[in-house]
Amino acid sequence: MAAYRADEDYDYLYKVVLIGDSGVGKSNLLSRFTRNEFSLESKSTIGVEFATRSIRVEDKIVKAQIWDTAGQERYRAITSAYYRGAVGALLVYDVTRHVTFENVERWLKELRGHTDSNIVIMLVGNKADLRHLCAVSTEDAKAFAERENTFFMETSALESMNVENAFTEVLTQIYHVVSRKALDIGGDPAALPKGQTINVGGKDDVSAVKKVGCCNA
Amino acid sequence: MYGTQSKRDLALELQAQIPFLRPSIHARRANITVKFQDLYGFTVEGNVDDVNVLNEVREKVREQGRVWWALEASKGANWYLQPQIASISEGIALKSSLKLSSLANAITLKKLIRKGIPPVLRPKVWFSLSGAAKKKSTVPESYYNDLTKAVEGKVTPATKQIDHDLPRTFPGHPWLDTPDGHATLRRVLVGYSFRDSDVGYCQGLNYVAALLLLVMKTEEDAFWMLAVLLENVLVNDCYTNNLSGCHVEQRVFKDLLVKQCPRYALVYEEFLDIYV
Repeated sequence: MAAYRADEDYDYLYKVVLIGDSGVGKSNLLSRFTRNEFSLESKSTIGVEFATRSIRVEDKIVKAQIWDTAGQERYRAITSAYYRGAVGALLVYDVTRHVTFENVERWLKELRGHTDSNIVIMLVGNKADLRHLCAVSTEDAKAFAERENTFFMETSALESMNVENAFTEVLTQIYHVVSRKALDIGGDPAALPKGQTINVGGKDDVSAVKKVGCCNA
Repeated sequence: MYGTQSKRDLALELQAQIPFLRPSIHARRANITVKFQDLYGFTVEGNVDDVNVLNEVREKVREQGRVWWALEASKGANWYLQPQIASISEGIALKSSLKLSSLANAITLKKLIRKGIPPVLRPKVWFSLSGAAKKKSTVPESYYNDLTKAVEGKVTPATKQIDHDLPRTFPGHPWLDTPDGHATLRRVLVGYSFRDSDVGYCQGLNYVAALLLLVMKTEEDAFWMLAVLLENVLVNDCYTNNLSGCHVEQRVFKDLLVKQCPRYALVYEEFLDIYV
């Protein structure tokens, strides 16, 4: 697992989860975004893995801690830990397998049941490079996303299409949600000291700011 | 996670296949990467310094092998497979059956195993000491063949997930990632999914079964190793429908961490949010 480095320079740390059926390409989306790698010989994920990458949003450095897990049904039993503190989610389906799109509704229900209502969700139709095998129309997915009030993008981890955009959009939206929330309670997000985690989810979310400190804990 | 880790473990147990390299200082400077297959067919890649470390490990494994052979010579072939020693190792020996010599042998064996079992002996030692041999002996000889025949062509959620995972289990492996490797792994996993419908198939078992196939040499022995692991060796319900055994283990780990390393526990709690 990725080690936490206290000295890293960032302003905000956001936890983002990847969810969706087995084999839709969650792990390759993660490796494309965090390491710019894609593996045709991909391995099935077991348990939970995560990776991080920092990007610039407006004038701030935002560090995304992205969690990836096995897609098999029974692994959903570990969700309380998986979803805890998540402020963003990419709900992934495979555009070539309609059943993975049908299951999106269940994933969404699960996600909403475990996270704060402010969580930023993006519906992601992955494997968009396989156009000739496409089994889920863009219109259907778009309509679903509008109805459920989530963002939507079609991506290809293989061709590196929209992967960057999808993650950046989610992180930017989180940044805005968090700023708005912080403003609502009268705080200036820019004034928050470095190294603090902004947590818009979880039961302990009273002030929208959760103090996390390694060295002063 | 598991896959990577196992690969690394296997890599550390490198055997004769490794080219024995003595890199010059120049080579070291050049940071040349070396690529080769370990004894289970996994590709190991590293720079010359890594290979030097691996060579040292290999030498230790060889030394350990010599200890096994020496004991075999003095105590007799397969001394470690005597049922009495196995049962003491399992901690289920009856007091009346306890002989001092068996006890001494059991202690010796435990120490030996902890230092590593030579790869050629692993199929034998694992099969006997895990209880797999005993498990197999309680059913008719034809059990595994009958089972695989009976389930042929059946489609269940488990078989669907297995089929999905076969090409994603150690992809690129010279045998596992071939039609024959896929078919063999499939028979073991599908067979087991019908043997225990509470477990069925859980993602992750693909890696366990694949490694067992590589070590055990025969498909049937790999099947029984999988069975004994899931049914006797591991915590109950590690792989069942809600992974409850897994939750128990995490909980116990968390409690132990809080008790033994409270400062680490605090850091984990706050940064990784990893606990259930």
